[in-house]
Amino acid sequence: MRGSREPGWGWGRCTPSPMLFVSLLLSAAPLGLLGEETRQVSLEVIPGGPGSPKNLLHIRAVGTNSTLHYVWSSLGPPAVLLVATNTPHSSLSVNWSVLLSPEPEEGGLMVVPKDSIQFSSALVFTRLLEFDSTHVSKGPAELPGKPYPPYSLAEFSWDRINGSLDPATLSATFRGRPRDDPAKAFANGSLAFRVQAFSGPGRPSQPPRLLHTANTSQLEVALVGVSPRGNRSLFGLEVATLSQGPSCPFLQEQHSIDDEYAPAVFQLEQLLWGSGPSGFMQWRPVAFSQKQGSRESALPCQLSPLHLTLTYPLPQSPIVRAFFGPQTFCAFNLTFGAPTGPGYWDQLYLSWSMLLGVGSPPVDALSPLVLGIMAVALGTPGLMLLGGGLILLLRHTRYSEYQPLN
Amino acid sequence: MHEEEEARALLAGGPGEAGRGPPSAPAAAGVLPALCDPSRLAHRLLVLALMCFLGFGSYFCYDNPAALQTQIQRDMQVNTTKFMLLYAWYSWPNVVLCFFGGFLIDRVFGIRWGTIIFSCIVCIGQVVFALGGIFNAFWLMQFGRFIFGIGGESLAVAQNTYAVSWFKGKELNLVFGLQLSMARIGSTVNINLMGWLYATMEASLGSAGYTVLGVTLLIGGITCILSLLCAFALAYLDRRAERILHKEQGKTGEVIKLTDVKDFSFPLWLIFLVCVCYYVAVFPFIGLGKVFFMEKFKFSSQAASAINSVVYIISASLSPVFGLLVDKTGRNIIWVLCAVAVTLVSHMMLAFTLWNPWIAMCLLGVSYSLLACALWPMVAYVVPEHQLGTAYGFMQSIQNLGLAIISIIAGIILDTRGYLFLEVFFIACVSMSLLSVVLLYLVNRARGGNLNFSAKQREEIKLSHTE
Repeated sequence: MRGSREPGWGWGRCTPSPMLFVSLLLSAAPLGLLGEETRQVSLEVIPGGPGSPKNLLHIRAVGTNSTLHYVWSSLGPPAVLLVATNTPHSSLSVNWSVLLSPEPEEGGLMVVPKDSIQFSSALVFTRLLEFDSTHVSKGPAELPGKPYPPYSLAEFSWDRINGSLDPATLSATFRGRPRDDPAKAFANGSLAFRVQAFSGPGRPSQPPRLLHTANTSQLEVALVGVSPRGNRSLFGLEVATLSQGPSCPFLQEQHSIDDEYAPAVFQLEQLLWGSGPSGFMQWRPVAFSQKQGSRESALPCQLSPLHLTLTYPLPQSPIVRAFFGPQTFCAFNLTFGAPTGPGYWDQLYLSWSMLLGVGSPPVDALSPLVLGIMAVALGTPGLMLLGGGLILLLRHTRYSEYQPLN
Repeated sequence: MHEEEEARALLAGGPGEAGRGPPSAPAAAGVLPALCDPSRLAHRLLVLALMCFLGFGSYFCYDNPAALQTQIQRDMQVNTTKFMLLYAWYSWPNVVLCFFGGFLIDRVFGIRWGTIIFSCIVCIGQVVFALGGIFNAFWLMQFGRFIFGIGGESLAVAQNTYAVSWFKGKELNLVFGLQLSMARIGSTVNINLMGWLYATMEASLGSAGYTVLGVTLLIGGITCILSLLCAFALAYLDRRAERILHKEQGKTGEVIKLTDVKDFSFPLWLIFLVCVCYYVAVFPFIGLGKVFFMEKFKFSSQAASAINSVVYIISASLSPVFGLLVDKTGRNIIWVLCAVAVTLVSHMMLAFTLWNPWIAMCLLGVSYSLLACALWPMVAYVVPEHQLGTAYGFMQSIQNLGLAIISIIAGIILDTRGYLFLEVFFIACVSMSLLSVVLLYLVNRARGGNLNFSAKQREEIKLSHTE
């Protein structure tokens, strides 16, 4: 667990003294990553000219001293670029002809001015996995069951996002199904990536109710109505991210005492791209097999270790390649559910949420209700004992004063 | 729960008069082995063994849901709120039956038939509970628990009556202690055995789901059959002893007059409040404990069972010690205060720390045993003897009412707000209990009551009364 977690925005408010400024520079925490309390968020679908739909969504979250750019796209596998700059005036420029070339070069996608970039990284959702949980394989890798051939998300066709864009909730949905689906598994179903940005801190009403800030955005992955290939199929998602040289980003599991917002889930998983406050991906290891997200529909969410993907090729994301150039990737698998208990098969529904952001990951604090109850519960008997003791003491002394008269 | 016997264990005693047969009666005593001679110790020990096993079945099955929480919730597809109804349904009939158990035994059935009938009801309840599993009907399971509740608590009263009838003036306190320990052992064995039994059945039946659950519960019901057999054996031996020794059929001697309630003093109501607020933070917690330890502290199923039953193990071994301690020192309110405060600390440790929960659970076990030994005898100090039956009946009734309601609330809280909030809720209950103890202490001090006398003071008062 990490020690002090200064809420990022606290820094932005005070005018730092020169000493503090120097120490800040020394601590190598770029200013743009320190976060802001509120941001002006705008969603923009960048038109890609005529032809087949080219979903490119640019979410721009502007604070007083910084800008966050989230670029979501379903060109290739669904992917997101996260870029933080230390100026409120940075902007995204897209060169479609480069971006759409078979092997896009670096520069097809740019955030300018380039020297304002404090942090950048990317996530690529490469494959939808499916396992037959009734046949537990005894291989070296601890798979949750016998794997079926995975669905490559690069070979999905995605609906136009323009229709799903909702400026009120700052959200948009990428909904897709395989281009080639001979088994008609997706005839009545789809895989959806709902992305949402936030202009200020808060907490959604749907479990797992992750605490969000203006420095984060949320992704909810939902698999709905897809026919599983087995009676008790477990689904999973392969997620890839940029490696940092020879090593992978840091996966961290936090234990907490607080499960008030996600009943019976005491863990918080985090993928951290740097040792200081940089970028992070945060989620609770829980998925839900019902839309209401009640506790009886909660599915455990297993996480495989993060590994470099040198041995097998991952589907490439054009936007990641156009921004970073050729890169190596680290990947991990998330699997949802267990062979027994509730599962996707109950209602052909599965949803899982995560946060993506910069700065220090949000940390849950005890709710005011809990603190209030504790204060009353501990305060009342204590006060009673104190007050009663005083009264008795007073009475006792009065009583003993009378005694000599007898 | 079956706390009345804890009370009796500490109150009982007195001059012996029953069971002293005329020396001429067993003329053939020399021929009869000691085991078959009702006037001999060996025979009484046989009876004692039967008495202990008489209660074993119902104690074993009472906590079946706690031992199989994950399996029940998974196989029956119920949330925690519905799961906790299994405990609530056990408590509901006892809100009323606490007043009538004694009456039914004394006036309607007699001790022998009463015991047999209550044992039968317990068996039927457990079988219906199990059938609910086999037929995948959760309402049937609830109904089974309701029937089980009708028999369970009254059977405890019958068990006590037998004990008094056979051991009054002899080894009565020891017998009560042993019965209580046996009850706790029953709960402990259940909590640690049922999960394993379920896994074994699952492997041998080759399938999972509600059938396995039902069959497992049905096998658990064998303990109830065992208890029923004990009831028959006791009835036979009791009749035989009556014939040989001209011993009278035992009576609870409980006189319940509901109109006495208006005479209950303020301290007595405070004692009731302490009792109900305390027990609702212990038994529903144990009912939900196993999954809590698995989720929050990542315990294995077996380890979670073990830690969940540690309260009962400690209680089984420490109750006699604390009984003696409270007897020798007096000062009941202080002991109760300590017990409630330690329980508060242990719940706070479980809620707000990730420390090894064995520490907190052991503290809970110790404080629970201490509370039982110090709280229940207090009733006798604030109530005239002829109202004692009513007072204890009322105390148990309120306790069952509290358990029924809080079980449901606890389930709802867990489903919607999680374990932390549930623990905070239990802390609030314990703190309500603490508040009542403090108030009781102050009221007792202000009124010059006898509740907090030391053993020496009690002795002096007793002497001055007899003079």
